Amino acid sequence: MLRRSAISFLLVLVGISGWARTRPHYGGTLRVEIAGDGITSPDATFLHLVLDGLTRTGPDGTLQPALATEWKSSNGERRWEFTLRDGVTFHNGFPLTGDRAAASLNESCGGPCPWASLKTQGNALVFAGDAPMPELPWLLAEDRFLISLTDAGDGKAPPCCIGTGPFQLTGHRGPSLILAANENYWGGRPYVDTVELVTARSVRDQWLDLSVGRADVVEVPPEEVRVAEQQRMTVLSSPPVDLLALEISNNGALANQQLRASIALAIDRAALFNVIFQKQGEITASILPQELSGYAFLFSVERDLAKAQALRGGVKPPALSLGFQGNGSMQLAAQRIALNLREAGFDVQVTGATHADLMLRTIPLASADPAAALESVLRASGKTASLALTSPTAGYRVEHDFLDRKTLAPLLDLPRACAVGARVRDLTLSSDGTPDFANAWLEVTP
Amino acid sequence: MSLRQRLLLALSLTVAAAVAAVSWTVLLRIRHVFEQRDQEETALFVSQFQREFQHRSAEVAAAVERIAVSEQARSMAYQLDQKDDPALFLTEAASLAQDARLDFLDIVGPDGKIVSSAQSPARFGYIEPIPWDDHPTFLNTVDLPDGSSALGIIAGRTVDVLRINTAQAVRIVGGERLDQSFLADLPVAPGMTIGLYTDTGQSVSVNMTTPGSASTPHPGPFDPSRLAGAAGPIGGAANYQSLIDAARTSGQQTSGIVNPNGPAGPREASLNATAIPLKNQAGNVLAVLVVALSRAGMVDAQQHIRAIAYGVAAGGILLAIVFSLWIAARVSRPIEQLARAAREVAAGNWNVHVPEHGHDEVSVLARSFNHMTGQLTSQRERLIQSERVAAWRELARRLAHELKNPLFPLQLTIENLTRARQLPEAEFDEIFKESTNTLSAEIANLKAIIGRFSDFSKMPKPELERIDASDVIWRVALLHFPWIIKGVNIEGADYEGPEKIGVSVHISTQPMKLDADPELLHRALSNLVLNAMDAMPDGGVVTLSAEPRDESVEIRVADTGTGLTPEECERLFTPYYTTKQHGTGLGLAIVQSVVADHRGSITVESRACSTENPTGGGTTFIITLPGAGQSTEAAS
Repeated sequence: MLRRSAISFLLVLVGISGWARTRPHYGGTLRVEIAGDGITSPDATFLHLVLDGLTRTGPDGTLQPALATEWKSSNGERRWEFTLRDGVTFHNGFPLTGDRAAASLNESCGGPCPWASLKTQGNALVFAGDAPMPELPWLLAEDRFLISLTDAGDGKAPPCCIGTGPFQLTGHRGPSLILAANENYWGGRPYVDTVELVTARSVRDQWLDLSVGRADVVEVPPEEVRVAEQQRMTVLSSPPVDLLALEISNNGALANQQLRASIALAIDRAALFNVIFQKQGEITASILPQELSGYAFLFSVERDLAKAQALRGGVKPPALSLGFQGNGSMQLAAQRIALNLREAGFDVQVTGATHADLMLRTIPLASADPAAALESVLRASGKTASLALTSPTAGYRVEHDFLDRKTLAPLLDLPRACAVGARVRDLTLSSDGTPDFANAWLEVTP
Repeated sequence: MSLRQRLLLALSLTVAAAVAAVSWTVLLRIRHVFEQRDQEETALFVSQFQREFQHRSAEVAAAVERIAVSEQARSMAYQLDQKDDPALFLTEAASLAQDARLDFLDIVGPDGKIVSSAQSPARFGYIEPIPWDDHPTFLNTVDLPDGSSALGIIAGRTVDVLRINTAQAVRIVGGERLDQSFLADLPVAPGMTIGLYTDTGQSVSVNMTTPGSASTPHPGPFDPSRLAGAAGPIGGAANYQSLIDAARTSGQQTSGIVNPNGPAGPREASLNATAIPLKNQAGNVLAVLVVALSRAGMVDAQQHIRAIAYGVAAGGILLAIVFSLWIAARVSRPIEQLARAAREVAAGNWNVHVPEHGHDEVSVLARSFNHMTGQLTSQRERLIQSERVAAWRELARRLAHELKNPLFPLQLTIENLTRARQLPEAEFDEIFKESTNTLSAEIANLKAIIGRFSDFSKMPKPELERIDASDVIWRVALLHFPWIIKGVNIEGADYEGPEKIGVSVHISTQPMKLDADPELLHRALSNLVLNAMDAMPDGGVVTLSAEPRDESVEIRVADTGTGLTPEECERLFTPYYTTKQHGTGLGLAIVQSVVADHRGSITVESRACSTENPTGGGTTFIITLPGAGQSTEAAS
């Protein structure tokens, strides 16, 4: 009997300890390291910590309420009304009002906005457009439409980055930003007390810090995912959310569309995918990934060097510059593309300049909605008109017509990934690859 | 050119030539010595370069060997042999190269394709472009990401893994860059400039299928920016083009003189340069090592020698001047005196004497000269004396001859008168009257003869005035042929005179101005006309003509008589020579005297009677007188 009681007692203790280990704990400092500044897209980690949007994309890719609790359209989706969440305050205690939200949105919008007018109507924001705006809720989930305080109340600009997000900026130590948990966060207080965001840290150093326990969350570039996994790191990877593409100028020597088409055909996407990006993501010749659009397979990804040379037609264009935006793997990819183009008869020199005849860059697919994502990419490429896509066929038509101009050559769809330390629990990536630090917690170490 | 000048010139040339020859020899020798020294220093540097190259080659070979036998490389080779994904080793070459301190490193898979490249990471999947055989190390070009290529010392090695076929083994191809940093490690002599021209800047096409096909460079156009020394670009690199191009095309070591400041640059800046081609194992020239030594020392020495030579030459020429003056004083002055005396003799002054000093050849010559002039003078005096005697004899003969002819009738007349005293008075008176007429005529004849001799002896000096020759000629023509009209040329006018003598006049209408005495000229022409008329006892035509020549006037008086023999023509102007029965032989002498006084000339053209020309060819006297202004100039 005594023996049975002791065994039962031990089983209860084990059960309690197991439950205790999986139950979220409050407290602790989450140390996050990033290579960028945390503000500039596509790596806007800091902004995601301190700001919220009217809507947001959930981990499953669905559109979820954020600062707006509901929205509805009228007049053929030309008019949208977003109802703001009650009781939300900014980090400085200012309540979130329609005017403050509208001021933030108008300031974020900068140049041409997806909407024609924005008004407040009580606790609601009313967007009106000349054309249907079916993708507006998705667009408002993008980073560029995060809400921040633009007026401190005395007519002066407030300190940086006062938002309604789960964390608020309390200070900095060198390149490290110290963010404290927002006790009044509308989604509930985050589990961790503090997030220490170390910026401008090289990936190699991040990994070193993670290996010695000085960091909890570090970045893993797509091309390093395999290496990280080989090193038995815990890697969280998103679906493809970034489009690696080559922007081709249509001015000067490349005003000839056949030359641009020759360039697009000469690129060996398979080499980029298999070797440089270590088979992460997927090869593409379309703007939207296959799983988002359903028609990506219709765009050929095969390299056709003979046709590229034929299209060039003996024309020897002057030396072209090929710029790239990003880190070493982007430079390597640019060098590889330069090699491909030299095979096709182009004289290409890789340069670090931000303006070049050819520009290799990643374009974030900012939304899980095909139309919104497509519009976002096209808008980034200079096309401003609202697409108002009603079907995949219409999307294909728009994408085909756009790509047929040969000013953009999609190459790869890339995921985003991060590696987490052993004490981090329940950290997930949203569908756009952003870590959800608000719901992560740290295991207490004895 | 005088002897003094010749002496001066000869001595100066001798001195200058001697100095130039010595200077040229010394300069040549200096140049030879400096060039030999430069060659030795160049050879020394080249040997040092080769030693350093071998040393670096050994280091590269050892580094590649260490990589090939390393556990990391062998593990990688094994995994590649097991068909593992080559993409996993994309950055392997960079880390291995960094550890081994190699500039270049390619990991080549069993299929010959690059698995990883340290210097050009994007080149994975391409066929390894570096041709590779059993050479332990070799020179080759290595493709770089920017499309250019670099020169490197390359070594290759197969990674040995058990149970792997060597023919399909993983290979390591690594190397070290050969550039100006390589040159920086070499000891350089003072005044020496070294540079490396790499023929590797051009874009290299890439080939996915053919091994070793990408990196065989073809010599392109010369690019001065590719010539760099240990401290960076070499100044005036463009001036090395001919030398480097010669080495690149011939593949042989080439030497020459290069001036970095250009062909017009100062000689002190010029360099003795040698271009040594550096080749790969296939014999292609990949780079050119340039070793240049300053010629400043040689140029300074040459300039110093040249300055000394100029000084010596100038001094020598001065000495030559002094010496030539002294020689002239000793030698040329007596010769010049002799020359002046000879000119005096030639001018007719035979009464010259040159001083005689010493007993040398010049003195002997002077004595001979003086003796010669003395002999000439005495011979001339004797000749004059004999000529004078001959002239007197001729005059006496002529006088006797001329006077004898009138005296004989005089004698006969007087004897007739003497005999006539015996005759009756009437007959006597008649004879007396005839005798006195005869005596008067003969006495008049004697007076005429004496008058002509008197006239010849009293030929007046011409009084020159500006006249037109045509006036004088027309005056003469009208005197002897009064039926013609002045100013109208005629041809073979009618024989209106008693002697059936006609006249032709051809006088140019152009002005024929003369500075002449019209009376004397009239007298001379009249003599010629009278002679012409005398030469045609059976009638004929006298032709008078005149026409201007270049700077003179030519007057012709011609007859159609029997003409003269050559002997007669030769003696025609000799005083007292005549072909006429009653001539004095003074007419033509007077004509010649007048023409000579006018600085003119007179010639005769005649063709005597012969079987071919029985009527004779006539005689033409041609007087050429200087035009106005010419005679005075000629006289002056």
